[in-house]
Amino acid sequence: MGNKRYNKSVSILSIEDKKRRKREIIISVVIVAVVALLTLIENRIVHFGADIPVSNTILMFILININLLLLILLIFLVFRNLVKLLYDRKRKVMGTKLRTRLVVAFIALSLLPTIVLFFFSINFITTSIEFWFKVPVEQALENSLDVGRSVYRHSEENSRFFMERISYQITSKHLLNPKNIKALSHYIQIVQREFNFNAVEIYADNAARITFALDSEMEDKPLDVISADNLQKEIPPNGVRAISERIPTGELVRTIGIIPFGSRSADARAFIVLAKLIPPNLVKKMSSISRGFEEYQQIKLLKNPIQATYYITLSIVALLVVFCSVWFGFYLAKTITIPIKVLAEGIRRVKEGDLSVNIAMVADDEIGSLVDSFNKMTRDLRIGRDQLELSARLLREQNIEIEKRRQYMEIVLKNVSAGVITLDAGGFISTINKSAEKMLNLEPENILQKSYKTLLSGQLLELAEGVINNLKSSQHDATELPLKLTIDGRPMSFSMHVNALKDDSGKHMGMVMVFDDLTELEKAQRMVAWREVARRIAHEVKNPLTPISLSAQRLKRKYSEQVKEPVFDECTQIIIDHVELIRNLVDEFSSFARFPTADPKPCELAPIIEETLALYKEGNPHIHFDFNVTDDIPPLNLDRQQIKQAMINLVDNAIGSIRNDGRIVISLSHDPILKNVRVEVADNGVGISDEGKTRLFEPYFSTKKAGMGLGLTIVSTIIADHNGMIRVQDNKPKGAKFVIELPV
Amino acid sequence: MNRKSLALAIAIIFCVYSLAFAQKAVLSNIIVTNTRDDLLVYLNVEGAFTPKMKKAILSGVPATFSFYISFYQVRSFWFDHKIKDIEVSNTIKYNNLKEDFVVKRSWEKSGPQVTQSFDEAKKLMTDIDSLKIVPLKQLVKGRHYQLRAKAELSKVTLPFYLHYVLFFVSLWDFETDLYTIDFIY
Repeated sequence: MGNKRYNKSVSILSIEDKKRRKREIIISVVIVAVVALLTLIENRIVHFGADIPVSNTILMFILININLLLLILLIFLVFRNLVKLLYDRKRKVMGTKLRTRLVVAFIALSLLPTIVLFFFSINFITTSIEFWFKVPVEQALENSLDVGRSVYRHSEENSRFFMERISYQITSKHLLNPKNIKALSHYIQIVQREFNFNAVEIYADNAARITFALDSEMEDKPLDVISADNLQKEIPPNGVRAISERIPTGELVRTIGIIPFGSRSADARAFIVLAKLIPPNLVKKMSSISRGFEEYQQIKLLKNPIQATYYITLSIVALLVVFCSVWFGFYLAKTITIPIKVLAEGIRRVKEGDLSVNIAMVADDEIGSLVDSFNKMTRDLRIGRDQLELSARLLREQNIEIEKRRQYMEIVLKNVSAGVITLDAGGFISTINKSAEKMLNLEPENILQKSYKTLLSGQLLELAEGVINNLKSSQHDATELPLKLTIDGRPMSFSMHVNALKDDSGKHMGMVMVFDDLTELEKAQRMVAWREVARRIAHEVKNPLTPISLSAQRLKRKYSEQVKEPVFDECTQIIIDHVELIRNLVDEFSSFARFPTADPKPCELAPIIEETLALYKEGNPHIHFDFNVTDDIPPLNLDRQQIKQAMINLVDNAIGSIRNDGRIVISLSHDPILKNVRVEVADNGVGISDEGKTRLFEPYFSTKKAGMGLGLTIVSTIIADHNGMIRVQDNKPKGAKFVIELPV
Repeated sequence: MNRKSLALAIAIIFCVYSLAFAQKAVLSNIIVTNTRDDLLVYLNVEGAFTPKMKKAILSGVPATFSFYISFYQVRSFWFDHKIKDIEVSNTIKYNNLKEDFVVKRSWEKSGPQVTQSFDEAKKLMTDIDSLKIVPLKQLVKGRHYQLRAKAELSKVTLPFYLHYVLFFVSLWDFETDLYTIDFIY
């Protein structure tokens, strides 16, 4: 697995490496191509002139290329950022609006002064250039040049004037005649002196110099012969042509004319050349004027290119400023928006619940302090959340513990034999345990969250209010009282403990009632007490009965004859009878007191009941006996004799309650779930009052005039000895019903 | 439009642009002839002078036409053998004081020629007359020879070293194609 991952990472790296290399190659190729293209364009456009060294040319090319590359790079960066900004705006990326605003602000801020400065500079340059080439300057230069020109012109005109006369004299005096050469030379010298020429020369028509005359200034300087070409060149219509040459002492202007004056070169008999030396300082000044005018003209020629160059340079600088400002705008926007973006991202993560966000310090300005505050806030939140989590965990654990305890308490309450009912401070029943439900035969949903005032009525309500008031008024928090209730027709006896619940501050929180079912206990106690009474009575009463009876019989035997009083016999007989009666009574007590313990053996219950009924059916024709038995009655462990006794007592009791015609129904059924057999003896006789029901099974309680009231006590004892249970209910609509439950 | 076509379009625009800058000058009337002793060449440049150039010359800017003439013996299976390489120049300068043109022809022994006519000066500038190439004795009868000629305007120097500043400014500019004349002696 790890190996695979390693391979994957290697392959990813190599892909990235390849991409990087590819990018580098592309960049190199692009740069080379751009440089080549730029060089080509520059080569075509720019000419440095031949007198600039090659090294300088190369240097210039390199500098221009670098400049252009930087400019292109700047433009590329700016446009890339602009495109990116537009794209981001479209995608509504965080921070684009701020970036746009900043960039726009920077562009606006930079454009305004740049444009103002640009147009001001353009205007300034244009005005300056216009000022340089203002007409007065040119006019002055032209005038100066004209002055210079006039010097030459004057010289030429002067020469022409004299030349015309000289030519006339030479022609008229036939001085060109070879034999008059001397005279010609003489004439020339005179002319030179008279007309103050620096040199006067005469050339033959074949361009050979015939003679010449020089002034003192020119005497020691060589004077070159004018070439035939020069001489024979066409003479302009004004008849003279001037050539000039520089000599150490100035510029020698030689004016060539033809003899006869004004004729064509082809018709020339001779050429006359008049030379005038222009002083060096004048030459210098004139050439300076000429040069100045020339330079002015050239500059004028370059006016537009210079202007264009200035415009281009200014435009480039302006663009550079604009691009720089745009780029700076981007940069500044980035420095502001990136921390904000990071901050927003952090806030988003915090919002999603990730408190581990920690933003690295991005700046040392206000945004930096904001980031610092954010980090502090997330840290505090994190710590707070941790503490909360800890508290929540502890709380959860405590809750679990409390729940466990509650469940434990509930289980304890559920399984405790005593009934427990709690009331809150307002007297509303808040809890009731299973034992209480069972004892009182209540459904919790009918009583929970209900006030005792609505649930109780009559004597019970009075009793309850009395208890509560007693608890509230007295210093004691607990009270105990016996309570006798008839539940579903069953008399029950409870011992109730009522405890007031108070919190630490002594505030009343409600009360808890704990009550124990003492019905059976009381019954057993009464039984024991009665048995003790019966035993004592039997013992104490039976002993004197025999002497009483013997004494009475003896009295009767001895004194009956003597007395001869029927009263005496009657009385003694009564004594004997009643003693017998008392003996029977005592025997009954004695049998109750010495009632043998049961000896249960497996036997069928149904035949016992049938046998019992058979005893009574004949003697009670007015009573209808019914015996309902189901088929699934299992054999039970019973003391047959005792059970039969019990059944006889019950049936006898039932018959006794029926005044005239009646109906006695005995039902025998089996409950496999409760694992018991149920015998119900129901009659439609007079029934039993509620008070009677509570004391029914006590000895010496009878509703009949005859009898000791021990019948049902014996039944109860027999059933109890068989681990069974007997209770009495009202038989609806009339009569009583005894229910016996015997365990299987 | 994809990137390739855009690049191509830009390249074409640049080429056309640069072509438009160069004025078209041609060499004409190239005649190779001989005297008793020497091989001579006659030629002239046409379309070299433009109004702008005339203006510049009249403003006193000196202009020089350079002529590059090479003479080769053509060889069938080998590089041609260069017999002679000649570079001559004609320079014109206007003298505004005397209102004449001074033309210096480097290949003429006589001094500079002065003329007041611009047409004459132009003719003097553009024409090469009877320029000696090689003595005939250097040539071999029946051999194949070739003369290659080219003219260009050079040595234009702006005043005040402005050419250092105004790289983008060119008053004029021409360079003729290389013309060749083949002949068998």
